[in-house]
Amino acid sequence: MMAPLARSRMRGVVIHAVLFIVLGFWMVPQVYMLSIGLRTPAQAFDAALFTWPVTFDNFVTVIRDNPLGGIFLNSLIITVATVAIVVAVSSLFAFACAILRLKGSMLLYTTLLTTLMVPLASMVLPLAILLKNFGWVNTYIGLILPYAALGVPFAMVILKAFMEDAPRELFEAARVDGCNAWQTYWHVALPLVRPALVFVTIWQFIVTWNEFFLALIVLTRSEMKTLTIVPMQYSGLYMANPGALFAILTLIALPLILLYVLVQRAFVRGLLAGAVKG
Amino acid sequence: MRAGAAVAAVRRRSASRASTLYLFALPATLLFVVFVAYPILWVAEQSFYAGRTDGAAVFAGLANYRSVLSDPTFWIVVRNMALWCVITIPVQMLIGGLLAYFIERHTHALRGFFRTMFFLPVVTSVSVISLVWVQIYAPYYGIAQEYLRHVGIVMMTSPIGDPKTAIYALIVVNIWQWTGFSMLMYIAGIANLPSEVLDAARIDGAKGWRLAVHVIVPMLAPATKSLLLLGVIGTLQTFPIVHLMTGGGPNRASEVFGTFIFKQSFVLGDTGSGAALSVIVLVIALALSLIQIAVLGARLSPAGKEKP
Amino acid sequence: MATLSIDKVTKAFGHTTVIPELSLTIEDGEFCVLVGPSGCGKSTLLRIIAGLEPISSGRILVDGVDMSGAEPPERGVAMVFQSYALYPHMNVDRNIGFGLKIARTPLAEIVERVGRAADKLRLGSYLKRKPRELSGGQRQRVAIGRAMTRKPKLFLLDEPLSNLDAALRVGMRVEIARLKAELASTMVYVTHDQVEAMTLADRIVVMNGGRIEQVGAPLELYHRPANLFVAGFIGSPAMNFLKGCVDKVEGNQVTISLDLGLSLTMPVSKPPQAGAEVTVGIRPEHIVLSAEGQADAFIVHASVVELLGSDTFIYVRDGEESLVIRDSGGRMARAGDRIAISLPPRACHLFNKAGQRISDATAVTEPA
Repeated sequence: MMAPLARSRMRGVVIHAVLFIVLGFWMVPQVYMLSIGLRTPAQAFDAALFTWPVTFDNFVTVIRDNPLGGIFLNSLIITVATVAIVVAVSSLFAFACAILRLKGSMLLYTTLLTTLMVPLASMVLPLAILLKNFGWVNTYIGLILPYAALGVPFAMVILKAFMEDAPRELFEAARVDGCNAWQTYWHVALPLVRPALVFVTIWQFIVTWNEFFLALIVLTRSEMKTLTIVPMQYSGLYMANPGALFAILTLIALPLILLYVLVQRAFVRGLLAGAVKG
Repeated sequence: MRAGAAVAAVRRRSASRASTLYLFALPATLLFVVFVAYPILWVAEQSFYAGRTDGAAVFAGLANYRSVLSDPTFWIVVRNMALWCVITIPVQMLIGGLLAYFIERHTHALRGFFRTMFFLPVVTSVSVISLVWVQIYAPYYGIAQEYLRHVGIVMMTSPIGDPKTAIYALIVVNIWQWTGFSMLMYIAGIANLPSEVLDAARIDGAKGWRLAVHVIVPMLAPATKSLLLLGVIGTLQTFPIVHLMTGGGPNRASEVFGTFIFKQSFVLGDTGSGAALSVIVLVIALALSLIQIAVLGARLSPAGKEKP
Repeated sequence: MATLSIDKVTKAFGHTTVIPELSLTIEDGEFCVLVGPSGCGKSTLLRIIAGLEPISSGRILVDGVDMSGAEPPERGVAMVFQSYALYPHMNVDRNIGFGLKIARTPLAEIVERVGRAADKLRLGSYLKRKPRELSGGQRQRVAIGRAMTRKPKLFLLDEPLSNLDAALRVGMRVEIARLKAELASTMVYVTHDQVEAMTLADRIVVMNGGRIEQVGAPLELYHRPANLFVAGFIGSPAMNFLKGCVDKVEGNQVTISLDLGLSLTMPVSKPPQAGAEVTVGIRPEHIVLSAEGQADAFIVHASVVELLGSDTFIYVRDGEESLVIRDSGGRMARAGDRIAISLPPRACHLFNKAGQRISDATAVTEPA
């Protein structure tokens, strides 16, 4: 017989050990990617997870030979602009529904919600033709606006729910304090739903940064391409040199992984806050 | 006199106020009309026209739909999408739910670490993931064959090169990428379980597995419903993994709606049948979603906000 | 400071009428308390005055100017909300100064006025704190400070003390009474608590079912309630009501026999007819404990006795009728005791079958 305390400590150790083992398997693809990137050409085709020795030559080569900076910048511009538009537009709309309760806003809300159920697959063809007619193929705006349109509904659901949970008296107090609708939105509503804004911002950033389908169709000129669609062309270019290819893949995946590690606490907090209320 | 002027001023101001308030809803509406509603209407219209070689379109009635539905590939796609749903969603829920349970209830100092690490595949670019997995699955030099041999699974070819296994190999990749998302949804659900209910269950003598199965799992139903709905919609969105890993092959065995539409519309340039396919996918998505919302009361918000 | 006139205002939500036609004038500098049970429409009326709730018909005038459709700041109102409604993301001084900032007041003046309000409310050392770091009483003071700095013509308070615990409530009540003297602003105060109403008001408006039952100074309502509702609502413990019928009428003197078994002769202003059903009201504190055998003594049995030290409450049940007696004479009594009481006619209120008052004001002399 073990004492209850010792038994629960034992259980804790076992659970941690199991979690670490599962995580070890879970991380295999990422570790493998990094490992190949660190190989010499001679080891590149070894069927092993790790090889020795490691070299940084691949990273040096691909950074020297490829305009990764410009591609990164394309991704950044498109993503930041999309996130800004989505947050602004969806919070305005959520405010109209939840606080102003404009006539007809709930009908509009329900209509916009259906966007979430529309697979992008069924929209790429018309969007491609629409953007061609606008002359927006190979432009930033040609991706930013459709991304924003597709991102707004989700952000709006989250923000509306948060605003509805805020005490109504706060908005009445703002009216008594002399705020018009715009001032109430800016000084009261937005600060009140801050955790939700953070959550929506991070999620939209991840989604936009990694979007593939529409980017593939809209961005055909190589200097306009984003980080998500370039790996394809490199897989042809570095067919015989997996070390270089995986060095580039690592570099492409890295920015968002680092960003997420930095903001994950705020992201999870927003997610938890969302479910706390209501 | 003075009073009358003041009243008039007040009236004028409140009238102009009411109309400017609609500016709050305007940008979202505009984006929706131009980039969602209009494309859908356009695609619906085009699905009834057939393109001719001289560029003009002629009304074709249901011809596009007939040709799509009689294409054997369409039925491969339907089967693949069904498999995708039926395998991905429950497996992700199970793994994600278990991870969430153990991370939330049995770790403290390392909780943030585990939450973050298991979520990393979600934030890793899907094109990177696809190429890495192609390498993992590769014959001769891929690690999957090498290591699976040690546990008695011998693969002669790459699983994505074999028409019989390709779709399953892709499903594995998809599960791996998105399980972290299910985990996070369940974490949100578990973290917000009312502690009184858990205390009451403990006083009633429920602990360990009994607590998990009889108390926690039912109380996580909202998260489960959301995941189901998002899973179905996500399945219909599937494109990059398939496009990058198999291109729908070999011999169209792993074709999904995304790659099928892409090929019809952009590779073959057959706008009519691409449009008909788009409409079919749209109708399937809306029907499945609305059925779930009506029957289960599922919600689209992954933040899992549930009004009691 | 301002005179507020509510002129034939009605309010309906959909098909439900919350306030049937209602008129009321609140004088310049007056402290007016709207009191009534929950759901009586007092909060709705306050929100109508504030401009938060549109009216269905009628007019709201401030200093004679029609403000019916105007926003709160145009009416010159400030309001203290029941939940305080402090902005959680702003610290105390920004909360207090927010209205001034929106009105584009020069910064120096904001600082000066916030400082003055903070001094007056003893908030000086909390100015940099967020609302969640304050106690209930401190939050309450911040909410009052926010309303004060705007120098409102109309100062509105919606059940400001209802979220405080009992001990704090007494303290804040005294504080509000002090503020009332200092601010000399027209104040409208909503509460369901008649003690707050009695202690704070210049004038009390008793509401029930969206209607005004009576308007008057606190003691006027106490001594001369216009009807059974007001009589029962004002005073704690509530007035005792005893059923009876009129035996005979001689001029303005009526003799009533009570169901309880005793008879009472008292003067009235509007004599009823003999045989009419009436209700006699007497406050617990006006029932006199007398010695057995005294001329008008009536014997009852105490069913429950509460000893509060300063007061003794004696509860009596007799068939359908029940009585509460409040004795401040320090008498000891126990449940089951025989108690001799008398009901001084001059302390009794008489109401007709419709519940309207038909006796004069009571003239209570302290029992010897």
